[in-house]
This record gives sequence, C-alpha cells and structure tokens, in this order.
Amino acid sequence: MNSGTARWQRNVFIASFIIPTLVFFVVFTIYPVLQGLYYSFYDWSGMSNKKKFIGFDNFKEMFHDPIIWRAIGNDYFLVAGKVIGIMVIATFFAVALTRFGFKLAGFFRSIFFIPNVISVVVIGVLWNFIYNPQIGFLNAFLSLFTKEQVTITWLGFTEHTIWMLLPPAIWAGIGFYMILLIAAIQNVPASYYEAASIEGASQWKQFRNITMPLVWEQIKVSILNIMMTTLNGSFVIVWIMTEGGPDNSTQVMGSYLYQMAFRQYHFGYGASIGFVILVLSLITTIILQRLMRHEAVEMS
Amino acid sequence: MKSNKKFTVLGIAAIVAALSLAGCGSKNNNASPSASPSESPSASTPAATESASAPASESTDNTVKLKGDFEIQYFVGGYGDKWWKKVIADFKAANPELNVKESGGPKINDQMKPRWIGGTPPDFVYIDGAGLNDRQMVEDGQLEDLTDWLKDAKNIDGDLITDILAQPAQQFDGKVYNIPLVLNSWGVFWNKALFKEKGWTEPTDFQSFLDVSDKIKASGMTPFIHTGKYPYYINGSILYPAIVSANNNDFTILQDMAANKVEAYESPAVLAALNKIVTLRDKGFIDKASIQINHTDSQMLFLQNKDAFIPNGLWLPNEMSKDIPQGFDFGFIPSVTQDAGGKVVANTSTATVAIAKNAKNKDAAKAFMQFIFSKAQASQWAELSGAPSNIKGDISSSNAPNFVKDAAKYLTDPNTVVIPTITYNADVDKAMMDATDALTISKITPEEWVKRVTDVVKKVGK
Repeated sequence: MNSGTARWQRNVFIASFIIPTLVFFVVFTIYPVLQGLYYSFYDWSGMSNKKKFIGFDNFKEMFHDPIIWRAIGNDYFLVAGKVIGIMVIATFFAVALTRFGFKLAGFFRSIFFIPNVISVVVIGVLWNFIYNPQIGFLNAFLSLFTKEQVTITWLGFTEHTIWMLLPPAIWAGIGFYMILLIAAIQNVPASYYEAASIEGASQWKQFRNITMPLVWEQIKVSILNIMMTTLNGSFVIVWIMTEGGPDNSTQVMGSYLYQMAFRQYHFGYGASIGFVILVLSLITTIILQRLMRHEAVEMS
Repeated sequence: MKSNKKFTVLGIAAIVAALSLAGCGSKNNNASPSASPSESPSASTPAATESASAPASESTDNTVKLKGDFEIQYFVGGYGDKWWKKVIADFKAANPELNVKESGGPKINDQMKPRWIGGTPPDFVYIDGAGLNDRQMVEDGQLEDLTDWLKDAKNIDGDLITDILAQPAQQFDGKVYNIPLVLNSWGVFWNKALFKEKGWTEPTDFQSFLDVSDKIKASGMTPFIHTGKYPYYINGSILYPAIVSANNNDFTILQDMAANKVEAYESPAVLAALNKIVTLRDKGFIDKASIQINHTDSQMLFLQNKDAFIPNGLWLPNEMSKDIPQGFDFGFIPSVTQDAGGKVVANTSTATVAIAKNAKNKDAAKAFMQFIFSKAQASQWAELSGAPSNIKGDISSSNAPNFVKDAAKYLTDPNTVVIPTITYNADVDKAMMDATDALTISKITPEEWVKRVTDVVKKVGK
C-alpha cells in the first residue's frame, strides 16, 4: 500500500462523513433560506400560483409598518430580559448547587430542570392559567393579601403586555443553562478553590475571580444561544399565550410573520420578515461576539 | 482558531434563523408529488358551456352521464362530516360511473394548499375553517365564475337554485363565485333560567339591554363577557348589527365596507355603533377578563353564570354541549343594539361552496351543486350537522335540534333584518378586530378606530 491510496482512503473516509451532512444542510437549510429570500421579492398570497415580482417593495413597506418595529422592539426586549433573567438565575443556581455542597443538590437539580422537559406549548397554556384574571393562580394568590378580589388582566394591559411573557420564557429556560454551567463549574479544579480559601478569599471573591473567568466560555455560548433561540423561537410562546394581542402589543417578528403569511395572505411579506430575522440574528451574533470577546480578554 | 469559532457560531445562528424560513419554503416544495395521480384530464370531456346552460333537467334524467374523476374538498369542523359522507354516498349512487374522491378532514385546507398553489386543485370545495378565505381565493383567480350559470341553474327537483337560497351569494365586483351552504347567525346569549330566577327582563333592544345590565351589575354579577383574543365575536355580534341598525337597517353599508369604500367607514352609523360599545365599556359592563381570553374560556365563564351575556354564534350550544350545567337554558337574540321597537338585525355567518377555476370535472361539480341545493338536503344538513342550512324550507318537522329550528325561525322572520354573508379584506378585518379590542380597553376613541381602519382601507384599496 503506497501513500497515495492511503491518502485516497483517508479522503473517502472524511467525505463519507461530510457529504451526507452537507447535502442535508443544503437541502434543508441553504435551499429554504434562498427560497424564502426569493419569495420575499414577490407579492404572493401563498394560496395560488399567481405571483408578482415587486423587487424590494416588501422591504420598503416594512419601514412604514409600525407593527414590525414594535415586533423587533419586543424581540430585543425578550432577548435582553431573557439573557439577564436566565443567566443570573441559572448562574446562581449552578453555583449554589455545586459550590455550597448541600445535601439536596441532586434533587433540586432535577426540579429546576423539569420546565426544560416540558414543551413550550404546555408552558404557554400553563401560564395562561396562572395569568387568568378570573380563575388564575396569580390573582388568587394576591387576593390572599387584599380585602377585595384581585382582578388584574395580566395579559390585557394597553401597553407593555410583553413584560408578562418574560417570566414564563425565563422559567422555561433556566434548567438547561443551569446544567451547562454546573458541568463547567465542576470542571474547575477543586485545588483552585482550596488555595483561595486558604488565602482567605470569600465565596463572592472566589466566584468573581475563579468561577466566572473559568466558565466564561460557557456563559458566552449560553448568551449567544439564548439570543438566537429567542429571536427565532419566541413565536411559540407568543402565539400560544396572546397571538400577538391585545392590539399587537405582544407581537414578535416570528408571530407577525405567521400572522401576515397565513392569516392575512401576504406570504411574500412574511418571507421578507423571515429574511429580516435572519439578518438581525447574524448581526446580533457578531456584535455580541465582539462585546464578549473583549470582556474575556480582560478577565484572563 | 478564533475565526473558526466565529464561523461555527455564525453557522449555528444561520441554521437557527433559517428554521423560521424553512417552514415557509417547504410549503410549496411538494406541489408536484402530491398532485393527485388519480386525476385524469381526459376523463371529463363534455363541453362545459352546454352543460352549464342546460344542465338541470338533463342531469335529473341522467341523460348526461357523469363520468371520470370528481374530487371534493371539505373541511371538517364544528358541523362534523356526517352530512358530507351521506350526501357524497347519495351522489355516488345517483352517478355510478363517476369516480368520486373525497378529501376531507380538520386539516384538509392545509393539506390541499400545495394543490391549489400548483394549479391542480380539487373540483369542488367547501370553504370553511382556517386557511381558506373566499375573498382571497377570488382575488387569486382560484374560483370559477358562477354568475351566468347560477342565473338559470336548477336543482335536481327542478327548482331554480337562486329561488330556494335563504341568503343570496356574495358578489365580488358584481360576480358570483361561491354559494352559501350553511346559514348561521351571530348574536347574544343569556341563561333564561337565571333571568327567570332573578326576575330580570330579557333584552329586546339597546335600552332594555342597558337597563337589565344595570340590574345585573348591581347584583354583583358582570353583565357582559366577550372573546378578546378573537375579537371577531364582538364585531360580528355587536358592532356590525349596530352599524346596520344605525344605518336605518340598510346593510349595504357593510357591503360597501367590504368593498373597501372609505366613505362607508366614515359614515356616522359606524361612529354611532362604536359609541354603543363605548357605553358598555364606560358603564363597566364588560368583564375585564375579556381582553385576554379565548372563546372556550369566555364560554366557560358564561356557562358558570359568572357573566350574564355573551356575544357568540348559534353553534355555541352544540360546541359546549359537554359542559352545559344542568338547568342552563339558552336565551338568544341576534342583536341588542337596535332602538326600542326597531327591527332585530341578524348578522349571518355562512360557509360556502365553490368550484375551482382549474377544476378538471366542472360538469360533475355543477351537478353536485344541483344535487346539494335541494330541500331534501336542507333538512338532512340541519339534522346531521346541527346547523341551519341556507336552503329555504320548513325544517320544523325534521329531527334537527331545537335551537337550530329557533334560529331558522329568526332568520326567516320578516321583522328581522338579515345581513347576507360578507367577507372583509383580511387586512381590514384584522385592523377592525385590533381596533375594537383597543376600544374596549380604553386605549383609543371611536374616532381613532375609524382613522386606524380607514388608513388600512386606503392602503389596501391602492
């Protein structure tokens, strides 16, 4: 066997892994993206074979559409709220369950992970009941402390109803990132902490100077992942809980895409919203990467 | 290394982002594979024009034998599919040489979408449920123009179809594309038993509605709940009838609205109607929970006597049949917004049938229309689907449920103004729903409602 056939075999071996993946990637990702982009240049109801090429009109129209701006605002509100909420709570839980070494750590780990196993649809329905003004848990709970029955319509404020979607979204997300961080923290050599303790470093100092820098990679990935899944996946919780209402106050890009494409028969416009989601995701990813890389350098 | 990582993350971002698009793109990818292989274009040959002009007597005599494949698409929702199974079986029996294919189900509108997009639709379609909109289908050129055919089309009994329709077909720019099959009505419900027990008077007009609501509120109960998540319930049951009442019972204003005429929306009748909703709001009659709940939740609260009135459609008793408490007795009036002594306004809710423009077997489709728009099928529909059909005729002797018979009575009463089927442009419809929701929670004024909606109308009309 000469080196030529060895290299050939090696290449075949590698190709046998790469090519099927590539084919699937092209068919299920690249092609739909391109096709979505293609439709975004058309005025098409999505119901017939009648399509009209209109160039960039769908994108131009977006600039004059107040709802899309509100949707983008809501999307980034959810991104910010979820990144802060999930990361703070998940980090806290992860540190508490590893560094403080109390007995029921395993039990709590499972408990906190449960929301992650439940489908977002179920979570949405569940929280709809919690928020229900008449038979909901939240009002019933608050009523314990007041004379009058509390009848707040949690999902029906004239403005800022989007705030109410944050708790379920955070609640659903904590478990996964907690597990991710727990794994990272457990990889930190115990000797570091021992040394720090001997030197007299407090728990907070240990967290700030040992844990944080050493799990920063995981935190970074978590933040990026929360951002991406929120921009692309907020649709589910919004659609289940409010369908973007009342009066479009909880609309996100995903839900507005669905509304326009399938309820109001503007498939081309929906496709162009999809393209905006893609572009915004990419831009936000790059920006976040830059921001966090800078900080990582400072840390080390 | 760093740039590698960046690409990985970018890659992940692209994949995740693409998922939202993937759903869209795939919609029409399978257009060709799912195109029915059973369709054989050559099978249906008879000259379309001939059979269109003189079909009735011939098809009853079966002198023109229907042949080939014939496909029917029907959505299965609240009315079930018992009637469809029955009528299709009957039609098959009458036309043994015709190969009838049924495409029915709760998701059929989505399943058949690729066929409509690909230009190989079924021959006959029942337009009901989410995902099908007659106005949009007409605009897309998907439906066969039935204007001329319907003028002298007779059913299998030899009656002119237009003569036996309780409500005429909707016109799009003066043309007819679809014929209403189901005739239902929006309106306001209450619990007769509760009203009797409390000594409340049942409402007959707007003033009596307000008076009794005052009493109800004083008793500690909320007078009115609606489905804020789907505001077409309150629009259909309160707003549109109120507009017609305020317009001297002339419903053409709604037809003008549907035709995107801005001046119709700016009419004082619209403002007057909106102000009636404002009255309900300002008097505190509207349950605050309304804005965020869906139809099931609002109906449950109503059935639990937490709220006295609910705007809904006549399908409500059927829909909630499993949850109706003992002793609950439905009271119903199509509208509560008319002046004392004024006519009741019934806003109908219809489901229609049509023939695809690209149908392969239009003769069979037309023959099927002549078959289903008959008196025999009317009572069969009422019996099997629990809803009034759009065919005139006495169903009092049929086995239809009582509330269906009551509804039929209302809709045929000369003192009722019956609004025929009207489909608004989807964008305008959505704008009206959002605006009504905003109005009920004091976010906007009636004038702002009009402004918002007319802005959309102007944009759509362009």
